[in-house]
Amino acid sequence: MSKIKYIQKLLKAKEVSCVELTKNYLNNIEKQNKALNAYVNVTGGEAIKTAKKVDEKIAAGEELMPLEGIPMSLKDNISTKDIETTCCSKMLKGYYPIYDATVWEILKNQNSVLLGKTNMDEFAMGSSCETSIFGTTLNPHNTDYVAGGSSGGAAASVAGNMAAFGLGSDTGGSIRQPASFCGIVGFKPTYGTVSRYGVVAYASSLDQVGPITDSVEDAAIVYDCLSLYDPKDSTSIGSKTGTCDKLHNSIKGLKIGIADEYFEGINEDIISSIEEAIKVYQDAGAEIVNFEIPKLKAFLPVYFIIACAEASSNLGRFDGIRYGYKTDSYNDVNDMICKNRSEGFGKEVQKRILLGTYALSSGYYDAYYKKAQNLRYSIIQDFKNIFKSCDVIITPSVPVTAFKKGEALTDPIATYMMDICTVPANIAGLPAISVPCGFDKNKMPIGMQIIGNSFEDYKVFNAAYQYEKQTKKSDEISPYPEVKI
Amino acid sequence: MITKEEVLKIAKLAKLSVNNDEIDMLIEDMSKIIEYADAINTVTEDEDNEVEFYNINNSANAFNEDIVIDSYDRDEILKNREGGEKGYFVIRKRHRG
Amino acid sequence: MSYELVAGLETHIELSTKTKIFCQCTTEFGGEPNTHCCPICIGMPGTLPKLNKKVVEYAVKAGIALNCKIRNISKMDRKNYVYPDLPKAYQISQFDKPICYGGYIKLSSGKNININRIHIEEDAGKLVHERGNTYIDYNRGGVPLIEIVTEPDFSSIDEVLEYLEKLRLVMKYIGVSDVKMQEGSLRCDVNISVRKKGEEKLGTRTEIKNMNSLSFIAKAMEYEFERHVDILESGGEIEQETRRYDSELNITESMRGKEDAEDYRYFKEPDLVDIIVSEEEIKKLKSELPQLPDEKLHVFINEYSLPEDDAELLIKYKKIAEYFEEASKGIKNKKIVSNYILGQIFRRMPTDSEKEECSISIPPEYLNELISLIENKKINSSMASNALEKMLDSGKPVREFISEKDMQGIDENTLREICLRALSENKEAVESYLGGKEKAFSSLIGYIMKETKGKADPQKAADILKEIIKA
Repeated sequence: MSKIKYIQKLLKAKEVSCVELTKNYLNNIEKQNKALNAYVNVTGGEAIKTAKKVDEKIAAGEELMPLEGIPMSLKDNISTKDIETTCCSKMLKGYYPIYDATVWEILKNQNSVLLGKTNMDEFAMGSSCETSIFGTTLNPHNTDYVAGGSSGGAAASVAGNMAAFGLGSDTGGSIRQPASFCGIVGFKPTYGTVSRYGVVAYASSLDQVGPITDSVEDAAIVYDCLSLYDPKDSTSIGSKTGTCDKLHNSIKGLKIGIADEYFEGINEDIISSIEEAIKVYQDAGAEIVNFEIPKLKAFLPVYFIIACAEASSNLGRFDGIRYGYKTDSYNDVNDMICKNRSEGFGKEVQKRILLGTYALSSGYYDAYYKKAQNLRYSIIQDFKNIFKSCDVIITPSVPVTAFKKGEALTDPIATYMMDICTVPANIAGLPAISVPCGFDKNKMPIGMQIIGNSFEDYKVFNAAYQYEKQTKKSDEISPYPEVKI
Repeated sequence: MITKEEVLKIAKLAKLSVNNDEIDMLIEDMSKIIEYADAINTVTEDEDNEVEFYNINNSANAFNEDIVIDSYDRDEILKNREGGEKGYFVIRKRHRG
Repeated sequence: MSYELVAGLETHIELSTKTKIFCQCTTEFGGEPNTHCCPICIGMPGTLPKLNKKVVEYAVKAGIALNCKIRNISKMDRKNYVYPDLPKAYQISQFDKPICYGGYIKLSSGKNININRIHIEEDAGKLVHERGNTYIDYNRGGVPLIEIVTEPDFSSIDEVLEYLEKLRLVMKYIGVSDVKMQEGSLRCDVNISVRKKGEEKLGTRTEIKNMNSLSFIAKAMEYEFERHVDILESGGEIEQETRRYDSELNITESMRGKEDAEDYRYFKEPDLVDIIVSEEEIKKLKSELPQLPDEKLHVFINEYSLPEDDAELLIKYKKIAEYFEEASKGIKNKKIVSNYILGQIFRRMPTDSEKEECSISIPPEYLNELISLIENKKINSSMASNALEKMLDSGKPVREFISEKDMQGIDENTLREICLRALSENKEAVESYLGGKEKAFSSLIGYIMKETKGKADPQKAADILKEIIKA
């Protein structure tokens, strides 16, 4: 059963008040956050205030909106008015947005209870939260391992029972990878269905905000609420159809695409886990279709070039003049700007800015950026063709399970290679979900990725929900902070 | 292999300062990554696409109407710079003796 | 060794939309610093631009009026560079697919100055220097601009000035900008080079910035031309660079050298979507354009038979030209109307801005009525002039000042009587006139006008006088 629905059931039945519920979550955060480091900012006061409002509504017998009263977390790159938004960078420590991101505005209007802002890799550039100025986030399953990144804090907040759902952002896998590492659900929407307005940009043509939740239905509920057309975002289209009402569609005859290229170099445990999952689908009447994706190896450089190029431009605005980190002493304006940036940004961010600047620079633009865009276009066409013969594609979410703290930073290429399964969906703007599908021999979670065609997010959710239904007892909900009656 | 000159030129464009002790490490890292990125030049596409004109969802004509909406209060605008000075953002203050 | 000048112009024009290009803050001039701002135009993290529709419409109108081709599909690009007045560290502009291209302005010599492109972009904020401190005001940040780039077709300073006058006039006519150089809604950079007369190859060019009046442009170009010639004559080489005009010293000085040449790393703006302008849309915008100055001039000169100078003066101010057209509806001899406007009426509007505003106290219909009376010989020109003064003073129509009775004028018999009296009372003048002094005749007319309180038709009186004298 969906945790969100469960909580609302309790609230409506007055088995617990929203304030109590919120306090329970806050207590859990106090207990767990020191070890896990999921939250970088706990907004207890705000949370209780909202919870009181919800209790008043319940007392007055009013109907609750789908996400009303639900305690949740927001990744710290989502602008929250008058609440510090740092992107876990020295550059924005002490920065208070003067406006709300659209996704937060939607939740605010539904009186969702904001428990706090969650940890991330600095400016979303990383896969383990290790570049965060607040330190890394650890995996609730086993704190020897990381929660992943860049939405590591969001994933740990949900998996660690410190939020009923969280919002993360995904540019190359930053929702799906931590969801996979933490054994929960993470969804990246079709590009353009969820507003980017107010989300601090990493790579404009790749970024999307999405839900991180315990269950598929929860992710669908959140997605349906967020996937509205936003006039403030020129690239916003919104979802063309709801997803919750289609979760129960039969998957008999569903065509599932599998490509060998996705399984090359993947951890054995992961391969067998996915193979078992595929069997579950086949038993339910789905059809397996084989397809080829020979350019897969080129996807990563395409992603990386475009992401770094756009990021190098997006991060240009951080000069310390209107907001952000300012150095103490400097010679002239140029020196001041250079110092603000060199002292305010971490090393990984600086490296990506340099790489992006290089890829766009005169003499290299054609060989890198232009070439990457050309390839991107042909990748989009390739996927259009692939989806002519299948409804969804199944792949591993990540080639590995969670790694130990410090392991990732040694070889940059190997770290970037971890995104091989997730970046295609960002490049082509496709909807993609990661659902837990097993554990490896170290008992760390494995994630299966389901990718759909543009604007067919509902198919992805439907396929994911039906799998979850087969493998999880339907009325089983993951551990929930004790309710004091 | 990216040269030291190129790194410094890029750093200047990006307004980042690179220390002498960092630069060698940076050159090595960047060179590895750039070499890896070169992989895209081994893939040939079928036609020369007018790439500037694709956008992922083929959307066009997202416009605002020419209607004024009240601007933000100056206090809010200057909030993250402690109110600025005389209503301005400060870029450079003359250092007094 | 004779040298010739070659120049091209890059003109930035602020569009007179009510809101900025990517947000809905007001574009109103002035205002306390940073009071016309929002998170978008000060580049706060997470904000996104959205294009003002009017900007596209105005840009297309400008393109049509300047004989350009309009691109059906265009896009915006990022031009990346760091400067404190640029909040995002990139300017959203158009790089390789500008919305308009391939147009021209025809000079009076018949020569076309070809326009390479017109593109849309956003303005930056304004740096303020005060007592050694540098501040910034972002009110101007995000105001929409079009940039008009010509080919290097200019071969004289006069051509540049004429082009700018014509460009400004067209922009005012189509209502997309108030193009005031002193206020910064029109800014001009000149690219200038020299070469030996008859040579085809272009010399190295330099760019001059910071000339905010036509006379400064002329002076700067003169200086720069001489500077180039001096260098070449002494065997030196021109360095390609950007130079700043100093109006106090009347010189140009180097702004930045070659090694600082910026790499703008243009790429398509990922936060915006394509701009599609259909043929129907172009047709619709074209139909909304008023008659353009050159066409109007042609009509005034060729159809209305106005002298060239008069016609040019009328079309110089769009509202005056329109006033003239309204006032001369149905009038056969439109020169009469233009005479009154350029004479009596202009005298009441001594400044350019008054003429721009066309602040005439009577509507064109009233002037039209007055002139009709002249044409129908109901009143004579001196009556008309007097009446007009009164009309302009009070804002009232002619019939308030000239009654039906007055319009009857003087009948022929009465006029004859008065003429005879004129001759008998002014025998000396008659003698003078018969002796060959033409001037004496006018004193006779003067007498008659006085006697008839201006009502007589001076031409008729003259005819009668001459007839009598002959006899």
